[in-house]
Amino acid sequence: MTSIRRAIRGLLVVLALVVVASSCASDPRDVRESAHDHVSMLVDSAAVMGAPDRPIAGPQGAVGQFVVECPFSHALPDDPIVHPGEPGASHMHVFFGNTGANADSTLASLLAHGTTCEQALDTASYWAPALYHDDVMLIPEKSVAYYRAGLEVDPASVVAFPAGLSMIAGDPRAVEPQPASVVAWSCGNGAAREQMPPSCPSGRGLRLDVTFPDCWDGDHLDVVGHREHMRYSSGGRCPSTHPVHVPQLIFSVAYSFAGDPMGLKLASGGVLTGHADFVNSWDQDKLEDEVKYCLQRDVVCGVTSGRVSG
Amino acid sequence: MRSLRTLFSLSILSVSMIACGSSDESAVAPSTESPPSEAPATDAPTTVAPAEGVLNVPADYATIQEAVDAAAGGDLILIAPGTYREAVQVTTDNIVIRGLDRNTVIMDGNFEFDNGFRVVGASGVAIENMTAMNYTKNGFFWTGSNGYRGSYLTAWRNGDYGIYAFDSVGGLLEHSYAAGSPDAGFYIGQCFPCDAVIRNVIAEHNGLGYSGTNAGGNLIIVNSVFRNNRAGIVPNSGSYELCYPQRKTTIIGNQVYSNNQPDTPAIDVAILAMGNGILNAGGVQNVIERNRVWDHDKTGIGLVPFLEEDANDVIPGRDAWETDCAAQKQLMPVIPDGPLLWDSHDNEVLGNVLEDNRRADIAVGSAGTNLWELGNCFEDNTFSTSAPLDLETLAPCGSPLSESTGDWLAGDLNVITWLVDAETAPPSVDWKTASLPDIPQLENMPDAATAPATPASAVPPAIDLASIVVPDKID
Repeated sequence: MTSIRRAIRGLLVVLALVVVASSCASDPRDVRESAHDHVSMLVDSAAVMGAPDRPIAGPQGAVGQFVVECPFSHALPDDPIVHPGEPGASHMHVFFGNTGANADSTLASLLAHGTTCEQALDTASYWAPALYHDDVMLIPEKSVAYYRAGLEVDPASVVAFPAGLSMIAGDPRAVEPQPASVVAWSCGNGAAREQMPPSCPSGRGLRLDVTFPDCWDGDHLDVVGHREHMRYSSGGRCPSTHPVHVPQLIFSVAYSFAGDPMGLKLASGGVLTGHADFVNSWDQDKLEDEVKYCLQRDVVCGVTSGRVSG
Repeated sequence: MRSLRTLFSLSILSVSMIACGSSDESAVAPSTESPPSEAPATDAPTTVAPAEGVLNVPADYATIQEAVDAAAGGDLILIAPGTYREAVQVTTDNIVIRGLDRNTVIMDGNFEFDNGFRVVGASGVAIENMTAMNYTKNGFFWTGSNGYRGSYLTAWRNGDYGIYAFDSVGGLLEHSYAAGSPDAGFYIGQCFPCDAVIRNVIAEHNGLGYSGTNAGGNLIIVNSVFRNNRAGIVPNSGSYELCYPQRKTTIIGNQVYSNNQPDTPAIDVAILAMGNGILNAGGVQNVIERNRVWDHDKTGIGLVPFLEEDANDVIPGRDAWETDCAAQKQLMPVIPDGPLLWDSHDNEVLGNVLEDNRRADIAVGSAGTNLWELGNCFEDNTFSTSAPLDLETLAPCGSPLSESTGDWLAGDLNVITWLVDAETAPPSVDWKTASLPDIPQLENMPDAATAPATPASAVPPAIDLASIVVPDKID
């Protein structure tokens, strides 16, 4: 993107934020958050991280992976990454995995809590903006976390996330459709990746699919703005500034919601604002084993359950 | 064939004998003093000498995982009776992990751990003579293995599958039992050719007794019992995993009965398939022969289409049916515009004995394709009802089928109504709390304490198919 186009985009973002802020002026919390994110948006943008070369979907079983399914844990207007120490400062989030995640979470506090995940040693925290239908919050059925090597990345080069790594994928302030390779909507286990929520048939409910970056700078567990330490690989390679291949986390939030997508919105704004957050508070030894045995050896260590829920 | 097999297994063994240095920490087994047992528990290849390393749990290693991590190829891990709350990961080739008593060596996932055993990309690993229960995923699981064996295993109340091999070839599952899984008790998935045998197993009170998604090619299911599941034996095709369509499985000499069980945990497919004994759902070139099948609400043996709504790829044509799994993995999928209907093609249903299957003893159905174009044939079965009527006259084996053999529409199977039936079928019961038969006390592996370690050869035992007769009815 040229600097002129970037400046125009920046202007558009500012304009959009003004619109969002004024439309939400009755809720002081939203105004404060918008202002906060307005500042950080000018410093960092989700777009700096790049995007995968294409949406990642299709039959399971072609490449090494491990998969963790985590039923819904809890909902809080907290964001341990963006608003640490500020309970209630965020839009509503739905949390999966770690049962203790909140605004005051630290790596140590997370490690002291249990998990909703079927893999008891996955005590990582995953969260996404809550989804509303006609202003009623929808309780997700579960999340599915797929861990794989990035597209065309040599799986043997992938190493585990460091303990405490924090990252965000997707743009909570997006005002235009995001790349489907980063944020997409789908139905059930289907392979179609849409930029807008489709009308899903009953029994194959709506999903929000967020793909995290798979290149790390090798240094920072987090940075101001929460973006600069991570990048997406392209053509199987990480940039020299972010040379460490880490797993590509594809995080899918599954709802039972089916039917007309009109009336849906995310807590962060409209349906364009899909994003998700991750803090690596896995049992680190277990995570390193999963990466070593499943990803580096390119073995399918599991596929998603045929169970709808529970 | 036989001599080749022996030669091959001897060469495998000699390699593993050289490769397996004795572990410093391992105890020497008393069994090294006794002569090799003449008849090992399986007719998998016979070891020529006792393995050197025996690692005892908990005497030498406090946990099974510690013993597994310390073991080298050819070693035997012997587990004493007790309850082990572990999820064991196995990554070392050619080790044998054995319980001293099938019914009292208990792996308990406590609804927290995912797999009792997960063998990851390791080949030749055999697991014997123990029980795994309460795992959120699977009791016993091999993936990416070339050579695997499970013998005298009991899997009870596990969240996905009881005993499961995925993307693995060269396997034997035998003398085992699986109950209480919402998906399948026994599952071999994503392989072609699979080169695997399931024999002398019992599956009950699962969503499906057996599921074999996209698995086939020298895959034999024989002399086993599938009863009181939602549905009995259900191989199927689907593009949600690789190596479709499901092909070339031989289902022979099994007792399949009363698969109408309403109170099991069940995935959607199990609810849809409920009330069928052997349901070929979009599989091709399978042979279903000399089974005894009785007491089902729908079909005893049904060849039906598999509806895949969330399809990931288009259905490969007939010219791709010989493509092996490794080659298919290299192909780029093409997302289809709508749902797929995987029809059952070119299956043979021969010499089965069926009774009291309320919709039809034998049946073939589609949803839009002319049945004679599917090439499925039926011959020498003992039955009283079929769909369409006079099915053996309409579709004899050995000659091309045509519209002119009779009225294909009379009494035909309307599988579309099954989708409606599924809406009102008894819903799934939570796998964690479903009512199950008590864990049965089952036959132990002979000489568990002293039998030598026999790693899993990549070649399953040869099965003398010609000698198999229709088994008797169980009352």
